[in-house]
Amino acid sequence: MNPKTRPVAVVGGNRIPFARSNSAYSKASNQDMLTAALDGLVDRCSLDGERLGEVVGGAVLKHSRDRDLTRESVLGTRLAPETPAYDVQQACGTGLEAAILVANKIALGQIDAGIACGTDTTSDAPIGLNEDLRELLLDANRERSTGGKLKQLARLRPGHVVPAIPRNEEPRTGMSMGEHCALMAAEWGIGRDEQDELAALSHHNLAAAYERGFNADLVTPYLGLERDQNLRPDSTVEKLAKLGPVFGGPDGTMTAANSTPLSDGASAVLLASEEWAAERGLPVLATFAEGQTAAVDHVHKREGLLMAPAYAVARMLDRAGLTLQDFDLYEIHEAFAAQVLCTLRAWEDPVFCRERLGRDEPLGSIDRDKLNVNGGSLAAGHPFAATGGRIVAGLAKALQERGGGRGLISVCAAGGQGVVAILEAPGDGATAKKTTKGGKR
Amino acid sequence: MDQRTLTRPPSILPLYARAAAPLVPGASLLPFVPGRGAEVPDVELTLPDVEPQASAVADYARVCGFAVRATLPPTYPHVLAFPLHMAVMADGRFPFGAVGLVHVENSITVHRPVEIGERLTLRVRPTKVEQHPKGRTFGLVSEAHVAGELVWESLSTMLRRGGGGDGKAEGGERGTGNGREAPAGTAAQWKLGGDLGRRYAAVSGDRNPIHMHALTAKPLGFPRAIAHGMWTKARALAALDGRLPDSYRVEVRFRRPILLPGTVAFASAAGDDGIDFAVRDARKGTPHLDGRVEPLQTKQSKQTSGRKRAK
Repeated sequence: MNPKTRPVAVVGGNRIPFARSNSAYSKASNQDMLTAALDGLVDRCSLDGERLGEVVGGAVLKHSRDRDLTRESVLGTRLAPETPAYDVQQACGTGLEAAILVANKIALGQIDAGIACGTDTTSDAPIGLNEDLRELLLDANRERSTGGKLKQLARLRPGHVVPAIPRNEEPRTGMSMGEHCALMAAEWGIGRDEQDELAALSHHNLAAAYERGFNADLVTPYLGLERDQNLRPDSTVEKLAKLGPVFGGPDGTMTAANSTPLSDGASAVLLASEEWAAERGLPVLATFAEGQTAAVDHVHKREGLLMAPAYAVARMLDRAGLTLQDFDLYEIHEAFAAQVLCTLRAWEDPVFCRERLGRDEPLGSIDRDKLNVNGGSLAAGHPFAATGGRIVAGLAKALQERGGGRGLISVCAAGGQGVVAILEAPGDGATAKKTTKGGKR
Repeated sequence: MDQRTLTRPPSILPLYARAAAPLVPGASLLPFVPGRGAEVPDVELTLPDVEPQASAVADYARVCGFAVRATLPPTYPHVLAFPLHMAVMADGRFPFGAVGLVHVENSITVHRPVEIGERLTLRVRPTKVEQHPKGRTFGLVSEAHVAGELVWESLSTMLRRGGGGDGKAEGGERGTGNGREAPAGTAAQWKLGGDLGRRYAAVSGDRNPIHMHALTAKPLGFPRAIAHGMWTKARALAALDGRLPDSYRVEVRFRRPILLPGTVAFASAAGDDGIDFAVRDARKGTPHLDGRVEPLQTKQSKQTSGRKRAK
């Protein structure tokens, strides 16, 4: 076994613009979009015919036909068909988890380069057979004789035509993610105004990023879209204040604007050893320094469904020997403005940090000017498994652009899970000079 | 005691006919129709060699929300014992007809998990009639034995409304019965379909008309079909899956029936000495069921904190 690890470079990224549900990409499948995102990355990083160590990706809403979705997508790209691939699925953490998996193999020397990717469509969504009909058909299939099969098929009823449509619902609580987040917002006392401010800022930041060409080498147009369809550059707190609540009842604070919309899209990130990148003349935007996952008991202990990143970040900081303030940029996935604000408040809260994180001191506040500086999911949209790749590539580029520094990524996921990571870029831009423990990787 | 051993489970439908017969005026004068006696007969029915079928257990588990495991769901032996319950209550000497009885409490003791494939001997006997603020109650004791070892037992308390007490104190309004606060809030919402009663009937054999359809429930005093109490108990235990010890007692009180379709809220609170749980109407908060799980301090449960399946 290789006892040493090596640094993992974030070399480049590509995504298609994210579309609103049942709109520009309504006819595109997960595989179509993932293939498009991968092809754009192949173009951008000159990977034509390249046999990569591995491509790892996934989708959250997945058709049963999409067995080995990532491998099938790879076979549709101009990567060498000899590039192996596998699927992962960890709800909205899928994309970032894929990056951690690829990074780990590179760090261990098992592969030299790989792509982490993700895709999701809420338009071309899987619709299942009626559960009773499915059982009936399986029962009929198990019968050997024609008579036995017919006997099972005689159980057919008109009600069986009603299909099973995927529901945005936690299986063990029966509540939607929005309803869970409304409970968190109430627990942490998150107000309407601060949520709307965060949402408006997300739109302004993303619009500004597009204006200065930041996304030119991160996004490739697809099916007529050049920018994220959900982006509203003219969004204002005043306009957002007019919207009615969609979660948390009539007195709720969560609206369609400070919650991410259902959306479609795909993203991909190329990770490699520094040598591999140098041999091909590819840049090292940043290194993938740390990754961490955590989960909470949202069912019985009733921790907030989306609070796991608060735990994951605390554990990762301890391992890396860093404080929450040792970062130049923060990328906290905006599933809901309220969830971002709950996470920030939890880190500031002495009681939460003592009783739930087991720390003498709270993690403290962050400089809000460093948060989601190029826009977040509220503006861009959030095709579940594609968000991780959007953030990793965007943060790596932002760190390089500012001449170095360290960035924190935090992504919450269904099932009470959280996936977090640290990217670092060497250079004078690094205001936080501390290095992660032992200059990892 | 009148002890009778059966060779096969009694068939349910004729029992329903006899159970419902006392609803016909004057029928109780007939010797084979229950409703004449003042006291329950001192009888015990035994059904040996009951071997739960894996596919039937899986169907039951699916309807109740249990994972399909190599062991029986804790409520499953109750389903196996149900035909014996009906047979006991269809006895001509029995003071009440089974139709119209209200299941008010149930206490199950799991002495150890029962593996699918183990052969059970089931015993069912009634307990004495007692006065109750809303009428009269009696109990049905069910036991499951494996090779002479008592592995599971249950006590169902049945209420016959009327004819007793001052009618003021509501049986279902005494707090949680053990003086504990029912846990507040909502840990989970369950959306219950209009066909839940029929689904549970298909896997449990309990086809009481109050559960099947609004049309069959109405003549018996319910505006719509109601969920089986034992389904609600099973669903609550399924929600606690993974937190139940190997050996425990779980007591519930059935408070108000759940009308189907409907949405109910489940809540639980774990303490050092047990888990309290409750099922309420999701909107109005009226209680449907509350209960409590208490671990039994046996040698086995002290030695192995993990579940048997975790070996």
